[in-house]
Amino acid sequence: MVVVGKRVVALYVDRVAQQWIVRDIDGNYWSLPINDHPWEERRPFHPTEETELEPVPGHYKYVLGLPW
Amino acid sequence: MTAEHDRLDAARDQQVPWKKWGPYLSERQWGTVREDYSDGGNAWDYFSHDQARSRAYRWGEDGLAGISDDHQLLCFALALWNGKDPILKERLFGLTNSESNHGEDVKEYYFYLDSTPTHSYMKYLYKYPQRAFPYANLVDTSKQRSRSEFEYELLDTGVFAENRYFDVFVEYAKASPEDILIQIQVWNRGPETAELHVLPTLWFRNFWSWQGSSERPLLQEVAGDQTQSIIKVRDREFEQFYLSCEGSPPLLFTENETNTQRIFGVPNRSPYVKDGINNYVVQGQQGAVNPNKTGTKAAAHYHLTVAPAGSGVVRLRLAKAAPSVGTEGNGSRSAWFGSSFEEIMKTRRQEADTFYTALTPTSLTADQANVMRQALAGMLWSKQFYHYDVDRWLEERGSDPFKPIRKQAPRNEHWHHMYNGDVISMPDKWEYPWYAAWDLAFHVLALTLVDPDFGKQQLKLMLRERYMHPNGQIPAYEWNFGDVNPPVHAWSTIFTYYLERAHTGEGDKEWLKSCFQKLLLNFTWWVNRKDRNGRNVFEGGFLGLDNIGVFDRSAPLPTGGYLEQADGTAWMALYCENMLEIAMELAMSDPEYVDMSLKFYEHFLWIASAMTHMGGENGMWDEEDGFFYDVLRLPDGSAFRLKVRSMVGLLPLCAATCFSGQFIKKYPEMGERAQRFLAARPEIRQAIHDPAKPGSANRHLASILDETKLRRVLSKMLDENEFLSEFGIRSLSRYHADHPYVFCAGGQEYRVNYLPAESDTGMFGGNSNWRGPIWMPVNALIIRALLQYHGYFGDDFQIECPTGSGRMMNLFEVAREIGRRLGNIFLRGSDGRRPVYGGTECFQHDPHWRDCILFYEYFHGDNGAGLGASHQTGWTGVIARIMHVFGTIDSEQVLTGGKGAYFQASARAEQRTAEQIGG
Repeated sequence: MVVVGKRVVALYVDRVAQQWIVRDIDGNYWSLPINDHPWEERRPFHPTEETELEPVPGHYKYVLGLPW
Repeated sequence: MTAEHDRLDAARDQQVPWKKWGPYLSERQWGTVREDYSDGGNAWDYFSHDQARSRAYRWGEDGLAGISDDHQLLCFALALWNGKDPILKERLFGLTNSESNHGEDVKEYYFYLDSTPTHSYMKYLYKYPQRAFPYANLVDTSKQRSRSEFEYELLDTGVFAENRYFDVFVEYAKASPEDILIQIQVWNRGPETAELHVLPTLWFRNFWSWQGSSERPLLQEVAGDQTQSIIKVRDREFEQFYLSCEGSPPLLFTENETNTQRIFGVPNRSPYVKDGINNYVVQGQQGAVNPNKTGTKAAAHYHLTVAPAGSGVVRLRLAKAAPSVGTEGNGSRSAWFGSSFEEIMKTRRQEADTFYTALTPTSLTADQANVMRQALAGMLWSKQFYHYDVDRWLEERGSDPFKPIRKQAPRNEHWHHMYNGDVISMPDKWEYPWYAAWDLAFHVLALTLVDPDFGKQQLKLMLRERYMHPNGQIPAYEWNFGDVNPPVHAWSTIFTYYLERAHTGEGDKEWLKSCFQKLLLNFTWWVNRKDRNGRNVFEGGFLGLDNIGVFDRSAPLPTGGYLEQADGTAWMALYCENMLEIAMELAMSDPEYVDMSLKFYEHFLWIASAMTHMGGENGMWDEEDGFFYDVLRLPDGSAFRLKVRSMVGLLPLCAATCFSGQFIKKYPEMGERAQRFLAARPEIRQAIHDPAKPGSANRHLASILDETKLRRVLSKMLDENEFLSEFGIRSLSRYHADHPYVFCAGGQEYRVNYLPAESDTGMFGGNSNWRGPIWMPVNALIIRALLQYHGYFGDDFQIECPTGSGRMMNLFEVAREIGRRLGNIFLRGSDGRRPVYGGTECFQHDPHWRDCILFYEYFHGDNGAGLGASHQTGWTGVIARIMHVFGTIDSEQVLTGGKGAYFQASARAEQRTAEQIGG
């Protein structure tokens, strides 16, 4: 049996596209709009090999209005 | 007593919150471990000075000449702009560890001129250049310099040429615990009229962003009049709080929120961010401040034009009460800033003078009194709200206390239990804006001169469950809480107890007991962790002495094997003596502690005798040299001494404590048990001082060194060609200037030279040096020990000081001579120069510089010039206690009163002053 480590939510910034990116607990990536309800209005994001995601500390989740 | 003593009493006895507001704002929050969320733990690069103006902090705040409440919810500090700098001067600038040739270093001139212990009065001076601040020049030039060159200082850049700078004096005076008067006086020292923007700034620490709280505090403009502008504070904690700004300056509002555009490249959700006021004033961005005049950060904008040799004054009042309306005189001045403001300011200044007059020995000269007062002012200004929830910080980095350690564990992963959120005495609020446990024990020696309650609270704090590790270890410092510092906490504890007992007539035994219980855990941690073979010989790693050894003593040795450390073992002998003193004191009123007394007595003897016995020919004591050394034990069983003549070998001398016969008188059976223990083990006292042998006034002495060894070590310590400099005891013998110690292992050469100034290696960050310079804390320990020896040996023990001079002294006189030399670092000599300032001419001659004293981290071994951190009033502030000791007692008093002599004389002097002031 293959044991898969528990996924954790992670925050990133994509400086080229000037947007926040979230990887949710299932491993899906989302881009967040700059507004008061970013999580509700998130959009799927599909990183490519060229995408450079810079990690953002977890405590920014409240700044970004994330629900966890 | 004095009005300030009354406030201290009220704070202690009636919980009047005189200490609620104080200089608790750090001078640097960026570049700290707390703010570091990088993968590699590079705190300096992760959160830089350049980011600080734009990025909200997670754990604390910083500012210039600032204050905050004791939970650091609301902060006040100064921002300045000379019209030429690229940014507001909101915080002190300095180089990071990798930018400077000798480690991190603040590149500003600022001085803690005065403070009372309740902060009822405080004064600070900042020197702000009128030319553009040479940020890039400082970085670029310093990077090019080698470790063998001096640091590049702000004065070296020429930015102060022609005295084109402002002296900005900031004074705080409390009308009541929550009514703070603020006066900022700006002097133009230059030859031409100059303009300065002064922006007193009020803001909330950002505590709402990190907790998902929908509730956030608010600052807003409320109606003032032509005489004042007013900011109202709206928050649960600070209901009805106001900052009134005289002269109705415009008020600027923004939010203490990260400028995500600048830091992360992502547009901001709100246009009002942390650097909004900066961008409005410096760059003219009109939209950067909130026109609705609300926010979590606000500043009053004063624009001063100051004539040469002239000054301008800005006055504010931060108070719980609503500002009084109405005017005085011709109606141009608010009553809130009228004659009563001036009267309160003047009264608090006078009360500060009276307070310091009362505690300064009358035998001190005016210059000595000034040095002592500034040392204490620096210590009081170095109090900082230190906030660090380690569990949460680790959790935010993915660490879990119940999971196995990952390959790259974050820093301090074993300290999940820690929650720090207290006002703590810092070593240096810019260079070391985090507590260091062994530093703190020394801080207390000086702080108790002005505020014994604070000293007691600080000692207890480190032993609380939120600090001390469950295994008994006292946290070292945030870079590595698990590092090992010398165990001096018990010494500071018993010192503080004796002091209070003499002053109040009764010691706080409950406090002493509670400290003792926790210290027992810590003592046991040492015994079980640092005595590799269970033979009472201790290791400990660097033990606070950074680069003093041949190798990095905290790293695996290049030879394999391990070190038996003379200092580690001596520290533990001293720890035993201190615990013995505490246990005996407690036993005088509680027989439960009698057995503990005997336990520590015996434990001391085991350690002391191990130090002189263990290893035989390869033990720590070198009979030929008459000195103690570390012993290197190699994997093949061989061993030899690392013959570096350093403070490591002087520390055994410091493990000496003189005891009166009171305890044995009360418990004679304990004396018999001690005698039986010694009689059954004659080898124990063979090579150490015989504790059974009575001395002066029938006292007894616990000491590793017997009289013969003591004389031999002293002859080296007091030799000006070895340890004794004109400015105190060096950390390494000057002997090694001509005779470097060289050791070869693994094809590499390790060398220890006498280096009287800065370090020439990167060991321990490269920003401190124990290979020659003079360090105040270990000098204080030496002085303590000499007074103990004098209490035992009396006048019969005479020794040549300096060695070879033909001048004979008793050990009190030797101690006083060392104290005098230490004081000379700061005092103006017959040539008018203060050695601490070396060749920096403006500090030697300019009336606007020369009496502002900086208390550096350590001092040049030959000329006394200040080195390392420039504001480490922390343990260097101990000079105040040293001056006080020798201004209070003489040799005869020590002989008559024993070790209690100083405490009693100090209490009597205080009583005399009280009577004089009272009547």
